[in-house]
Amino acid sequence: MPGQKFTWYNGIGLLLALIFALFPVLWMLSTSFKPSDEWVKVPAVWVSGKPTIDNYLTVLAPEVLLEDRGGLDQYDEDGNLKQRSDESSGGGAQGAIADFLTKSAWQSIYGSLILASGGTALSIIVSLMAALAIARYRFGGNFTPFFILSARMFPPAAIAVPFVIMFSDVGASDTYWGLILVYAAVTVPFATWMLKSFIDDLPQEIEEAAMMDGMSRWKAHLFVTIPLIKGGLVATTLFIFILNWSEFLFALVLTYNKVSSIPVQMAKYFSATEGLLYGAQAALATVSIIPLVIIGFLIQKHLVRGLTLGAIKR
Amino acid sequence: MSSYQTTNGTSPASKPGRYRRFDPNSKVLIGPLLITPIQILLLVLLVFPFMLEFFVSLTEWQPIYGDIWTALGQVFTEPIYQGINYNYLVTDEPRYLSALGRTLSISVLSLCLEFLIGLGMATIFLKSFYGKRIFFTALLTPMMIMPVVVGYTWYMLFQYNGPINQVIGWISGDAAGSGGVEWLNSATPAFFAVVVTEVWHWTPLFFLILLSGLNSIPANPLRAATVLGASNAKIFWTIMLPNMKGVIIIAFVIRGMEVIKLFDEVVLLTKGGPGTSTETISVYLYKLAFLDFRIAYAGAAAFIVLIITVVLINLMLKPIRYQLLEAR
Repeated sequence: MPGQKFTWYNGIGLLLALIFALFPVLWMLSTSFKPSDEWVKVPAVWVSGKPTIDNYLTVLAPEVLLEDRGGLDQYDEDGNLKQRSDESSGGGAQGAIADFLTKSAWQSIYGSLILASGGTALSIIVSLMAALAIARYRFGGNFTPFFILSARMFPPAAIAVPFVIMFSDVGASDTYWGLILVYAAVTVPFATWMLKSFIDDLPQEIEEAAMMDGMSRWKAHLFVTIPLIKGGLVATTLFIFILNWSEFLFALVLTYNKVSSIPVQMAKYFSATEGLLYGAQAALATVSIIPLVIIGFLIQKHLVRGLTLGAIKR
Repeated sequence: MSSYQTTNGTSPASKPGRYRRFDPNSKVLIGPLLITPIQILLLVLLVFPFMLEFFVSLTEWQPIYGDIWTALGQVFTEPIYQGINYNYLVTDEPRYLSALGRTLSISVLSLCLEFLIGLGMATIFLKSFYGKRIFFTALLTPMMIMPVVVGYTWYMLFQYNGPINQVIGWISGDAAGSGGVEWLNSATPAFFAVVVTEVWHWTPLFFLILLSGLNSIPANPLRAATVLGASNAKIFWTIMLPNMKGVIIIAFVIRGMEVIKLFDEVVLLTKGGPGTSTETISVYLYKLAFLDFRIAYAGAAAFIVLIITVVLINLMLKPIRYQLLEAR
């Protein structure tokens, strides 16, 4: 209870919680530095005695890695294997690595960056307008906010079928713009509700004063309201970026080979190698969560507001 | 003198009965103008797919049959197709119903565990101790990691040769590791593996929400109760819990909304296996549509799921509707 002393069993509880929360992350980090013979060793290797950055090279710079092993595999323009460089060095995990070399994770990292930034930008612009209409003009009464929220209620797997049909019909599958539209549509509920709560926090009188001084409504919103919720706007943007960066199912069913994102690439590694590429996958996972963790800690104060649709302020 | 100044200063636009200029700045128009983009986005990417899915579910279309639009036309001309998928779903597909039930049991079980662990952590964080801020931040880490990575990380941990079995071996004194659990290859352990993964991922959110709830409890009744000598348990049940009712409901609803969509973690952890023993409804729908390519049939299954989730979530939202709208 508040104000009471911190007891030894509180300490044990805290310790257990910390181990539970951090152990998987640390394991992933440790695995990403293990050489391939330690990935599935019995008993399991906790911290590698001979750490290596080969896993990161496999993911980020396979050319460097392969130079030691007799050159890169030869592929023609369509990505078909023409000549495997060195069959004997293949086999097991190494062979699986070789299969992915020409398509390094950079494509998926660029893809994720483009998709997440584009989706976030579109989502924020559209949501900011909607949030103003809802918070300041009560447009659509109680219906509109919950209609917008319903975009979050649909399980992606349940709505994916019509998306695939629609997108292949208009030629939007496997394009960036198509996926950006989808990313925006799935995240507008969170963005709208979060921004609405920030605008609700701001007294309406400030804008009214600006309008009294001769600003039009649009100008008052653009030059008074938005600068005043700047902090909230940044927090919302970063929060939506996290959501977009993690989006998986739509990216999985609406991309083939031109567009890729990190979660899709993770799943591809996984299914192509039966999950055996431990180190490389851990490396890609580590790389991909670095921006998330940094952003997460930056907006830690606002996370709860975003995830609870603005119902809980801090 | 122009004729404008003879109208006593009122502008032509505001005169009743005359043509009114389109004025985007008026209070009546600004609301609709601001809301239009989001409505278009949602009409195209929410309402239209929803309707398309319904019509597709009435056909027997599969990708090899060619153009979908002719198949859709047949829905109106050949009523024999109508509802055949739905009939089959209800009568001949135990896998569908068990996926629905499994999703529900995973959701309920993991939400309860998340609540209990989160509440325990939150009560610890009411006290002051050294390094509180750093520990707080560290405990939030799981929440910030993307679901696919969470799934893969726990896939590594749950391997037969993995660290979890090793620790179990240490505790049971069987260091050779022969008595380990086949976490991902047998039905019941795999189910619990999914629950543990989900609990790990989202307990921090419960912790955050419950902590903010605990912090907003008024101090005076607490102080009075302490002075009057009430026990901790009594204070918890009679003062803290009633004061946190709203917050607890919010936590459950918000998490409930997301957990019934559970997909990413399961795909990376077990792919719904072994067999179908960890297939959530999302995984089942995905397999049906994109691995078996039974598009129309998957559409029917998915349409029912959509209706169920929307109704269920709206029921859950009901108690906090007002709280969400008027949150200030």
